[in-house]
Order: sequence, then C-alpha cells, then structure tokens
Amino acid sequence: MRSHRYSLGLALAATLLSGAAFAEDLVIYQDWSSPAEVKALNVLKSAAEKKGINWVDITIPHDTGSNVTLLNLVTGGTPPNVFSENNPAVYMDLEKMGLGRTLTGLFKDLGAVDHFPAVVTKVITIDGEIRKIPLGIQIDGMVYYNKAVAAKAGVDPEKWTSLDAMFADFDKVKAAGFIPLALGAQQWQVGYLTHALVATLGGADYFTEIYGPEPKAEALDSPVLKDAFTWLRKFQQAADPGSVNRDWNMTTNTVISGQALMQIHGDWMKGEWRAAGKEAGKDFGCAQIPGAKAVVVSVDSWGLLGGQPEAKDKAELDFASVVVDPVVNADFAAAKGATPVRADAPTDKLDVCSQGVLDILKDPTHQVQNPHSMVDPDWQASIWEVAFNFWSSPSMTVDEAIASMKSNYDTIVK
Amino acid sequence: MTETSSPPAGTVMFPRPKKRIRGRSIAILVFLTMAALFFCIPLYVLVTTSFKTMDQIREGAIFSLPEVWTFEAWRYAWDEACSGITCEGLKRGFVNSLEILFPSLIASIAISAVTGYALALWSVRWAGGFLFLLFLCAFVPFQIIMYPLIVITVNMGIYGSIWAVAFIHTVLAMPVLTLIFRNYYKDIPPDIIKAAVMDNGSFWRIFIEIILPMSGNILIVVLIMQITSIWNDYLIGVTFGGLGAQPMTVNLANMVTVTTGTVSYNVNMAAALQTAIPPLVIYFVLGKFFVEGIAAGAVKG
Repeated sequence: MRSHRYSLGLALAATLLSGAAFAEDLVIYQDWSSPAEVKALNVLKSAAEKKGINWVDITIPHDTGSNVTLLNLVTGGTPPNVFSENNPAVYMDLEKMGLGRTLTGLFKDLGAVDHFPAVVTKVITIDGEIRKIPLGIQIDGMVYYNKAVAAKAGVDPEKWTSLDAMFADFDKVKAAGFIPLALGAQQWQVGYLTHALVATLGGADYFTEIYGPEPKAEALDSPVLKDAFTWLRKFQQAADPGSVNRDWNMTTNTVISGQALMQIHGDWMKGEWRAAGKEAGKDFGCAQIPGAKAVVVSVDSWGLLGGQPEAKDKAELDFASVVVDPVVNADFAAAKGATPVRADAPTDKLDVCSQGVLDILKDPTHQVQNPHSMVDPDWQASIWEVAFNFWSSPSMTVDEAIASMKSNYDTIVK
Repeated sequence: MTETSSPPAGTVMFPRPKKRIRGRSIAILVFLTMAALFFCIPLYVLVTTSFKTMDQIREGAIFSLPEVWTFEAWRYAWDEACSGITCEGLKRGFVNSLEILFPSLIASIAISAVTGYALALWSVRWAGGFLFLLFLCAFVPFQIIMYPLIVITVNMGIYGSIWAVAFIHTVLAMPVLTLIFRNYYKDIPPDIIKAAVMDNGSFWRIFIEIILPMSGNILIVVLIMQITSIWNDYLIGVTFGGLGAQPMTVNLANMVTVTTGTVSYNVNMAAALQTAIPPLVIYFVLGKFFVEGIAAGAVKG
C-alpha cells in the first residue's frame, strides 16, 4: 500500500516528499464544478490553507449510488484523503478494509455535535459512530416562487397552510395567464417530489416506515400513502406540457422568466435564481411545502480516509474541524446558497431562505433525512420507478401504484 | 446513373422505368431529409446555444438564433471553466488527451501491424490457436477485466499516469487491430515473400521495405478508428487516469454533470463541441482514404 502511494503521478510524489515539512497534501475527491459550488469550495480551501493543508483536487462526476471510482482509486493504491460520499455502505466497505475513520471524538471535543440539527447527526452517523463531515443542508422539497408573478396573480404562497389552499389558488394564477406550477418530470425529480410529499403528509415517523433502513409492510396499507399518490396525480395534472423530461434548471428558468408562478423542488433551485442575478426575498420567495408535517433534509457530506500516517491523519482531522467551524461553515453555505449545518452559525451573511430553513430545523420532530442516506438503494429505486410510471401513465390508479409497491416490497425487502 | 437526357439509344421502354425511379427517389429523398434532420436539429441547437448568452437561454426558446452572437462561452469553456476547484477550462484535458493519443496510437498500430504480418505471412507455431484466442478477446467487454487491469497497472507502477491510460488503450485495441492487419496481409501473394526471402530479406526488412509500402489504405483505416476511439474514450481515462492524467472527455463530464448545481448550457455546448471537433477534423481530412481503405479491405477479404 505504502509503496503504491509513492508511485503516484510525479507532481504528487514531489510534493509529498518536499512539501511535507510545511504543508500536508490532502487529496480531495468531489464532483462540484458549477460556479457557486466552486466559490464555496474555495472558502474551505483558503480556511484549510491557514491550517497548513494543501488541497489537491480530483474531480470525477459520481452518482449517489455505488461509487465505483472511489473503490477503483482505493484498489489502485491512490485513495483520496477526503471524498464526497453519501452512501453508508461505502463507509462500511472502507471500514472493512481498515480505511474507515471515525469522527465522533473530534466533533464531541469541538462541541459541534450539540449544535448540529438532529437530522444532521443522524445522517453523519453510521453504525453508531460519526463517519461523515457535514458540509451544508438542502431541503428536498421547497416552494420557490416568482414574487412579481405572485403579485400580478394576487396570491401569496407564504400564506398557504395546506396543499388544498395551494391548489385552490391555482385558478387565479391561470386566469392571470401564468402556469401555476412548474415541474420537471424526470424520474429522479418525481422520486424526490414523492418522498417530499410522503414527509409532508405523513410526518417523520411515517416517513421512516417507508424510507427508513427497515421499511414496514403495514405502512404500505396506510391511507397516507394513498393521499401522497393522489396528490402526486394532482401535481401531474397541474404540470405544464413542457415538463416532460425537463431538467430542473430549465424548469427554474421558466419561473425566473415569469412564465410560471412557482416550482416545487430541492432548494438548490436557489442557485439558478442567484446565477440569474435575482435576490431572495426581493425577486423570489420561498416556503416549505404548504402544511408540511416534516421536511426532507439532504446533507452534503464527505468522508475521511482512515489508516493514514500520523501527520496525514492530523491534517484530515484539521480539515474536518475547519469545515464544521461555525464561521467557515456559514461562509461556505452563503457562497453555495445552502444552509449551514450548525444552528449556531452566524446568520448575517445568509439570505432569508437559508434563515427560514434554520428556523424550520429548530424543531427536531419536523425533519427527516434524505432516503439516500439510510434506505436500501434497490427499494428506493423501485419506489422511484413506481412513482414515475404512475406520473407518466395518467390512467394508472392510486391502488395500482400501491399494489406494485407491495409486490416490489415482497421481492426486495422481505 | 442520372445523366440520361442526351443518349440517342433511348427507346420506348426508357421513360417508364425512369418515372418509377423518380417516384422512388422522392421517397428516398424524403427519408434522407428526415434522417438528416434527425441529426441536424440537435446539432443546430448545440451550435446556436453555444453562441447565446445565458440570459437569452433562460427565456427558453431553444430554436431561436442568438440575439447577440458571442464567443464568450467558447472562451470560457476553453480557458476558465471549473472542473472541481481547478478552473483552467478544457485546455488542460486537451493536452492530456493529446499526450495519451500519441503513445497509444504509435504503440497499438506498430505492434498489431507486425503481429498481423507475422501471423499472415510467416509460419508461426500455434498460429491458428492464437488467432482464435485473439478473436475471443475481441469480444471480452472491458468492464469485466477492469479490476484486474487496475491491479496490473499498479504493479507496473504506472497507475494514475498518462502511461497507464496509453498502455490500456494499446492492450485493448490489440485483438481487433491484429485481426484487421492479419486479414489484410493474408491476401498478399506468398510468392512475393518467398522471392524476398530468396533475395536474402529478413523478417524486418521485408516488413519495412515491402509490406509497409503496400499498407497505406489499411493504415489510414486503423488510424482513424484508433484516433476516434481513443479520443472519445471516457471509461479508460476515468479509471486509469487517477490524479491529473484525465483526458478531455473526463474534463468535459466534470463540467457538464451537475445534480444540484447550476447549469451554464452555453458553456456546456461549447465544451462539447470543442471535445468533438478533433476527431471530426481527422475524419474530414482523411475521410476519402478511409472509404477507399474500407473498400479495399472489403474486396480483398
């Protein structure tokens, strides 16, 4: 293993040997490349440099599923020190190879754990130990609306207290000549909307019965699921014809350009608004899905490579403590347009939407984690498929959708 | 086929088949136009979008022409676009791709040409079995042997460098290329070789002075095949490139693949075009020879 590491590319080998006395290299494997993301990464980079860490970047796009490239790099003897990865199974694989690194002690010493919202702690904990560094928070289903359009149509999305109230206003919006609801009908977007609806209607406990590590068969018989699919059908009927297979980015642009009133999607939508030069609270507003019993939280999180020499290990831990530092984390979140992972982060640089999210997350019972960080990937994939089939074939009934979920349950979970 | 107006040989029979042909050719034309549109419309969107500003793209009319033609997206994609925290644009990947291309090209073509020559024109022990093995290897998907190949390159000490990528390209191209060369050379009359041997020609001398000058067409075919496949490869580059030796395609994928980030469609389109242009240029320059080479191969073997 050791000798392999020295047989890396020349640049790395040279810096390893010559620069060791001054700065420790950390190979950081992630896949963010859009301007706001890079700006946020640079916040971390410059904070890490102050601790004597030299950031060596390796960027390869990877999905949230199985991370082949990470394991290839490990096999190749050039594993990254820090890597973006959500899937708990990967962390367990690394643990088995002796390359796991736990952070429970470090974060306790830093006093960070007490300030993480409940759901963040859940996401970063795998098998009883903290194994991930949380970077930022995103909410999977939020309402982002164009304030000018809302004013013209005479509606106020922030006043809606239920989905019924929201749909009741749609006629007004249509009468004013706007599309009420912009959606991008791709499988993952419909999948995200589905789990956001389950959380909205069922709350945290019910959500865990469907999307938790151990899904329950009884949960599939619950009226909540019927409700969720009934609403999903209403959403589908409210969507404009252009929604078929549309990227969420293009969908956001229809709201930005004033063709549609609003979009329900993850709050990373904010990135497109900001890239178009719009300001939260002035040009666009945001709210949780009306009447939500719980919101689904995605936590961007990175892991550390264990089994390292002492100096490297220290640099890795330094990096982790930099990331969860309240000030650095707030700056990072502000640059990316995300919400900080610490409730005690200074809020002066945050926009109203991120501040709103921090307020929502004050209630520990009102939040659940994104299914990716806990559920069996096969089960989740099957739910996505059912939801998307349901969405794409208007003749499919709610009962048929639930029946096919049940038969999938029998094959996959049992 | 089409110049039929002037010949005096025209009989009464002539106009009828001509009419029939015309009807059919209209159908063919319509079909070809549709097929061409099928490819040209996305290309049109690709090209026009790359010259638009993001403000115009947000309006949503994807078929409209740019209001202001700007090279900004092209410059940004080449020079500034970020792939992770490194914001050097595509040019970094372009250089890597070139560095991967040349060694892979030279090694794969040189080795397979010589092997094909030996198998076709010299009596090699086990040649039949060897050919059969090569034939089988040509059908093994890369993904299946990816892991062992990683371990091999690690043991060779080249994993994560340009040499690893070039080495894998060479190895993987070997079966097909050797078969192509072998089939091309096997139709050279053995008398030529026999005569050359009588004239005291050695294995190498015959190859260089007699066989190579006869291989122009097939070399062009193989050259184009290899340039296209090496340049367009993503999986080998991403798997064996490790740090800093990743080809342009990986660079491109980093730029355009976003899940929760914003998308600069104009920059993405410009970047995609920049990545696609080099093999296209090669194809246009050498395309004539390519068709000739394919035809020669087809007639011969």
